[in-house]
Amino acid sequence: MADRKNTVTRTFLNGLITENPTFTLMLGMCPTLGVTTAASNGIGMGLATTFVLVCSNLFISLLRKIIPDKVRIPAYIVIIASFVTMVDLFMKAYLPDLSKSLGSYIPLIVVNCIIFARAESFAAKNGPVQSLADGLGMGLGFTASITLLSIVRELFGSGTIFGAQIMPESYQPMDIMNKVPGGFITLGLMMILVNAIKKIIGKRRAARKEALA
Amino acid sequence: MQIKNIAITPSPHVRSSVSTRRLMQEVCLALAPAGIASVILFGAPAAVIIAASVITCVLAEYLYQRLMKQKVTVGDWSAVVTGLLLAYNIPAGAPVWIPIVGGIFAIIIVKQLFGGIGSNFMNPALTARAVLFVSWNAIMIKYPQTVFLAKGRVGLDAVSGATPLAELGKVFTGAEGASLSNVSLLDLLLGNCAGVLGETCKIALILGGVYLIVRKVIDWRIPVSMIGTVAVMYLLTSGFNLGLTARELLSGGLMLGAFFMATDYCTSPQTNKGRLIFGAGCGLLLFVIRAYASYPEGCSFAILFMNVCTPLIDRWTAPRYFGEVRKHG
Amino acid sequence: MNTFLVILIGQILINNYVMCQFYGICPFLGVSKKVDTALGMGMAVTFVITLASFITWLVQNFILVPLELEYLQTIAFILVIAVLVQVVENALKKLSPSLYQALGVYLPLITTNCVVLAVAQKNVTEGAIMDGQTLGLLASTFCGFCAAIGFTLALVLLAGIRERMEQSNMPKWMEGFPGALIMAGLMAIAFMGFGGLLQGLHLVG
Repeated sequence: MADRKNTVTRTFLNGLITENPTFTLMLGMCPTLGVTTAASNGIGMGLATTFVLVCSNLFISLLRKIIPDKVRIPAYIVIIASFVTMVDLFMKAYLPDLSKSLGSYIPLIVVNCIIFARAESFAAKNGPVQSLADGLGMGLGFTASITLLSIVRELFGSGTIFGAQIMPESYQPMDIMNKVPGGFITLGLMMILVNAIKKIIGKRRAARKEALA
Repeated sequence: MQIKNIAITPSPHVRSSVSTRRLMQEVCLALAPAGIASVILFGAPAAVIIAASVITCVLAEYLYQRLMKQKVTVGDWSAVVTGLLLAYNIPAGAPVWIPIVGGIFAIIIVKQLFGGIGSNFMNPALTARAVLFVSWNAIMIKYPQTVFLAKGRVGLDAVSGATPLAELGKVFTGAEGASLSNVSLLDLLLGNCAGVLGETCKIALILGGVYLIVRKVIDWRIPVSMIGTVAVMYLLTSGFNLGLTARELLSGGLMLGAFFMATDYCTSPQTNKGRLIFGAGCGLLLFVIRAYASYPEGCSFAILFMNVCTPLIDRWTAPRYFGEVRKHG
Repeated sequence: MNTFLVILIGQILINNYVMCQFYGICPFLGVSKKVDTALGMGMAVTFVITLASFITWLVQNFILVPLELEYLQTIAFILVIAVLVQVVENALKKLSPSLYQALGVYLPLITTNCVVLAVAQKNVTEGAIMDGQTLGLLASTFCGFCAAIGFTLALVLLAGIRERMEQSNMPKWMEGFPGALIMAGLMAIAFMGFGGLLQGLHLVG
């Protein structure tokens, strides 16, 4: 039997890598595609979502025995929406530039299905420590993947990463990367790549197991 | 429905005897006059673009199929057709990397990812053109004048002329100083006007298109309904101004699109009724985009949009689904 | 009349919530495997968005603004939407079992469809649809309806393509989400041609 600490770590890593919300669970697609034209947006959106996810997971887990099953959906939504409103107001006050470039996607964290899905499928069934780890893992997994996506899009769409010029001066930015088609296609191609890597790793593991046996 | 076979079954009566390769060779032959005309009109830069585009497309298909350990099908000439069509949609004098990037996008992302010939749902050359157009707009709308118009000036790149479409657009909206007499019908027919390299010489395109229809390589329904719809729309909105309508029909990418791109087998409907609807839709959207939207030429976007609608048109014009159209207004 | 035409063309073609703005991607990718289910989902969404636009406008203008509680907009709106979805589901179950059977499975999914909330919030934002103009109740409702039709259009078009692709020889690794994403991207390219259409029609400045 694994000890408690071990399972918490495992829950955290599960969200970060194994069940990465973007590449495995395919949740929260709208902000993933909508804000990822610049790497700084990706990180900002990711961290804002992580904050809401961690808080809502913790609260819902604490309240899971009090909330009646019938009204759980409205109850979850109110909890999530409260944290989103906090983040929204905080960012408007202290990070006005980031808040402006993320636009309406901040209030829309409420309907980001990652948060709702984790509340329903994890926090409602597990203790607060586990739920906290799950929220943190999922949130950082989401942050990592949308930052990666936004780095690729910014590199080709503007020739920069985090605003620093990477491509040579003569590079002509590929404007379509900043638009809707670029987002869809880049994410699709990245998903193919991730799936291919996963398959190779899986094959290797199986081969190693076979060799051991 | 034998979707897998569409690439080799353009219409029922020629199903048995033809192969993809022969059809594609016929298309290349039909495209040749316009290509030759473009080299005459725009000089060496046109030849460079055509070569770069065709080589990129064929090479991209070959390398992808080798890499993926698939059967190499470059021998079916379809990549050559895509390369030609893509080149015809690029202005002469564009940097060489433009057709290269476009060719890779067309072949790999639009065609091969979905399973190669017969499986793509959007026209590869047109999609690549739209990507180039949106990404590097400044390059893609830098239309050089033809050698004949630029005579006495410094060189090809020195002038990037207004296209006849821009002038006609002004006539259409009734702008001051715009007049139909600025656009010569003969110049339009011969291709002596600014534009992307393959679309200007209308005589060559019409010749190629009629050849394909006569040889039953393409179905007459799509080009006829597309060009007809554009004509009707311009006649109606311009108060039956025949001069304007004729010039609109002969400018921009309409002829190239109607004969060679809207008729692509796997991206247009299979039913006869569907083809008429498809052509009319292309014509209507072309008119709307050309006359009102911010892009100067609507042909590629109109055809692409109808490409997207094709599976539904097929579904709702196939006899067994009859009547279901009404459900979705 | 002008406003309504701007809303109609704008919401369906030019600013299509899915194809031009990245809203509602999850149901767009999730419920687009079959044309029939896509139509069902589209109708359910249309029903809910139209009603939600109507009610959230009233909530904004008769509750939040008079009480100066605008900062609670997100909470209030999402609560309205969640309750509305629940009410619609129950009402349909009682009033029209046949319609419930057709749309019922999609209803719970609509709460987390961000188009609903995005439309509701845009409707009450000044200048979101037309410069310097705030929409009235009727225009807001119509705006919601058109946004939903735009969503349905995108959904059904993608479903048509995906159905066709099932019969083609698409590689195994393209099946599911990766393929759907790339299809959606190519579709979005086709939607780009409508840019500037409203200015061209002299409908907006």
